[in-house]
Amino acid sequence: MFREEAGRLTASLVRFLGDFDLAEEMVAEAVAEALVRWPVDGVPDQPGAWLMTTARNRAIDRIRRESRYQDKLAMLASLPDTASREPDDRLRLIFTCCHPALDTDAQVALTLRAVAGLTTSEIARAFVIPESTLSKRLTRAKHKIVAAGIPYRTPEPEEWPSRLTQVLRVIYLVFNEAYLTTAGDTVARRELAHDAAWLTAILVTWLPDEPEALGLQALLQLHLARWSARLDPNGHIVLLQDQDRSTWDQRRIEAANALIERAGRFRRPGPYQIEAAIQAVHCAASKWDATDWAQLLQLYSLLATHDGSPVVLLNRAIVVGQIEGPEAALIEVDALEGSLGRYYLFHATRASFLDQTGRTAEARQANQEALRYTTNTAERAMLLDRLTDSPH
Amino acid sequence: MKYVLMLTRGAWQDDGTEAERGEIHGGIMKWFESHWAGGTIIEANELQPPDTATTVVLDRGSSTIVDRPLLEAKEAIGGYAVVDVADLDAALSLARSFPMPDGKVEVRPVVER
Repeated sequence: MFREEAGRLTASLVRFLGDFDLAEEMVAEAVAEALVRWPVDGVPDQPGAWLMTTARNRAIDRIRRESRYQDKLAMLASLPDTASREPDDRLRLIFTCCHPALDTDAQVALTLRAVAGLTTSEIARAFVIPESTLSKRLTRAKHKIVAAGIPYRTPEPEEWPSRLTQVLRVIYLVFNEAYLTTAGDTVARRELAHDAAWLTAILVTWLPDEPEALGLQALLQLHLARWSARLDPNGHIVLLQDQDRSTWDQRRIEAANALIERAGRFRRPGPYQIEAAIQAVHCAASKWDATDWAQLLQLYSLLATHDGSPVVLLNRAIVVGQIEGPEAALIEVDALEGSLGRYYLFHATRASFLDQTGRTAEARQANQEALRYTTNTAERAMLLDRLTDSPH
Repeated sequence: MKYVLMLTRGAWQDDGTEAERGEIHGGIMKWFESHWAGGTIIEANELQPPDTATTVVLDRGSSTIVDRPLLEAKEAIGGYAVVDVADLDAALSLARSFPMPDGKVEVRPVVER
């Protein structure tokens, strides 16, 4: 409830004050006051309006002390008592936070702070960076928004596709940070993943006709559905083929499938919709051996036409291995050495195909190579297991 | 808001034939003229190549004169334009429309008092 209101309040205040820092600070103070007073006085009839009035009064006090902001004071007086219920304000906020004139790290931090309402210490903990580093990053970004005149608005139609892609990318980065890393606090990472899913969900309510936003929402739901099956009690990665599929959250999977269908009706496919479809194929299989590999191969080939990155081709090669066998897969994998030679999954994948063709010595070497290129504890543990299991 | 667009020199200035360079230069001149006429550009100049630059170094009362540009960068500034537009988006789209085949444009807001 607080997070939902805080984002909305911050958005309204930023618009009127033209000052990110001040708006955020005032909303944070209003929330802090609510946390002290509501348990004693009871929750007010209109909590949102209460927060807005409190935040606005705090802002007026602050601005009175700094007399040079006369014009801002006038703007505050004209501020309505409730935060705008329309999505426009927060949509403007998220597009401003993800403006291409800010670097991606700054976009991620600002989005989490201003749109999702996380505190600086929560963000710093989730990304395992010192709080002072994160504070500096936020301060610089907010200063640049004001000093460089980054406009507070949704993009023009001609910029819309690339700007929306960037917003989706920022949210996916937040999710992957939570999903892929195993450093830091597990609970904090789980919450961060849910924050990313929540951001996507509100984005979809604001932009119901953007199939890629729907695709991202479906993709995140499909990952979340398998969240608890992914790590064993010791925090070790459990590969898809070894996961206990009875623990997958079927309700989430069904919801994601409905989102994919809804997105598909727009007939504007894109990488997030295709990735979601790929994960949906995995989720539909009752066991690893029942996976529809032919459909996966089609989807990966389609994805490669939208996103020709070598990582997509590596995944495609894995599917080729399931259909045509390890020899065929190795040919495709080896072709990617130039671009992926420093990527641990390239070597780990190569190792497992080498192992399947009986080239155990080479497999062992490839696993060792993989180990050189990852610092992630859970990934290292998995590779070390392989090295100790494999016959010498 | 006012911004300075700092335009780097590009490889095109050393490549190609005289006629090709002339054509690109003509396009650039047309770009300046149209934005000047529209009131977007307040001031603009093309600079002589960096080998004509002299740098004065000030150090608490003393000064030294050096026969080289400020930055020995590959991306030497080849010209600049001071523009007055609504916001950064407008300044960036202006920079994007600059008709040189390669090079960079730094967009820097001006301190306004």
